[in-house]
Amino acid sequence: MKLAIVFWLGLSVLGAAQLTSIDESGFQALVASHKGRVVLYDFWATWCAPCREELPQLLRLEAKLRSRGFELLTVSADEPEQAAAAEKIVRQFGVRGPAYRKQAASDERFINSIDPKWSGALPALFLYDRAGQKVRSFIGETEMSALEAAVLKLL
Amino acid sequence: MKATAAVWLALSAGILCGQEFKLGSKVSDFQVQDLDGKPVAFSALRGPVTVVTFIATQCPVSNAYNQRMIEVYKDYAPKNVKFIFVNANRSEPANEVREHAKRVGFVFPVYKDANNVLADRFDAQVTPENFVIDSSGVIRYHGSYDDNMNESRVHTRGLRMALDALLAGKPVPIPENKAFGCTIKRVRKTT
Repeated sequence: MKLAIVFWLGLSVLGAAQLTSIDESGFQALVASHKGRVVLYDFWATWCAPCREELPQLLRLEAKLRSRGFELLTVSADEPEQAAAAEKIVRQFGVRGPAYRKQAASDERFINSIDPKWSGALPALFLYDRAGQKVRSFIGETEMSALEAAVLKLL
Repeated sequence: MKATAAVWLALSAGILCGQEFKLGSKVSDFQVQDLDGKPVAFSALRGPVTVVTFIATQCPVSNAYNQRMIEVYKDYAPKNVKFIFVNANRSEPANEVREHAKRVGFVFPVYKDANNVLADRFDAQVTPENFVIDSSGVIRYHGSYDDNMNESRVHTRGLRMALDALLAGKPVPIPENKAFGCTIKRVRKTT
């Protein structure tokens, strides 16, 4: 019985990993609502193998530094037909809290709203300080030691 | 003398570290390698309008465009547009590029960019990514094929618009755009 409850609770938590749609203004609101914490925004997609390889490492970093005020938020760049697959990955990897999927009228405007210098290449990580200011970006394969050092500087 | 050396060093560093070929600027001659490793010069491949496209074998976004690459080639090669498809990924060797081209039915050659030298000169970041060069060697378009990897949701075909404009002798309406894609897998450089 206890096992059944634990299993049910586990499924409920995992099942909660529906991706919230987000556009340019939604992302700015998200950043504003997380002032006070150091936040790493991870832009990824189901089709991006390096993104999938990187995600568990990012989650480990978040688990290690969460109590010090660090948070990881994921934004899938997948198209609507990949939304279910993206949700499955978010569940499988055990992403905490809300996870997001871009739903913008124009990918280009969305990309430019995050960072005009960003080409749109994935994986892409953007690190924000407690004031809600973007301080670093990491595009492509990222050395976790360099990323951790950058996060620690802000904590 | 010291000042001259300093200027030379600064210029060299700029060329080595920064983007050399930019939208609106003129490209100098460059080389790619055919799949047997033989160098081929841009000057031997160029035409009145030339498209340089960075592609990949393993990138799902690049692969989503394979058919569109073939269609654009078939539509514009007869209009004397030249195409230089380049694979700059360190992780995708020439034999893999050859096999991939055969498997997906490419009707054009694909070249390698060893050590991503050309990708660095163009500052190409993503696959697929296009640079359209006019008859005078000036880059007139930089960007994606269109605005969605899912063809059913495409609204704007940026590359075709650029080619149509250049062939008609008109300014390119949207000279630059962006789309999601895979990073170019560059060689690791020691500094």
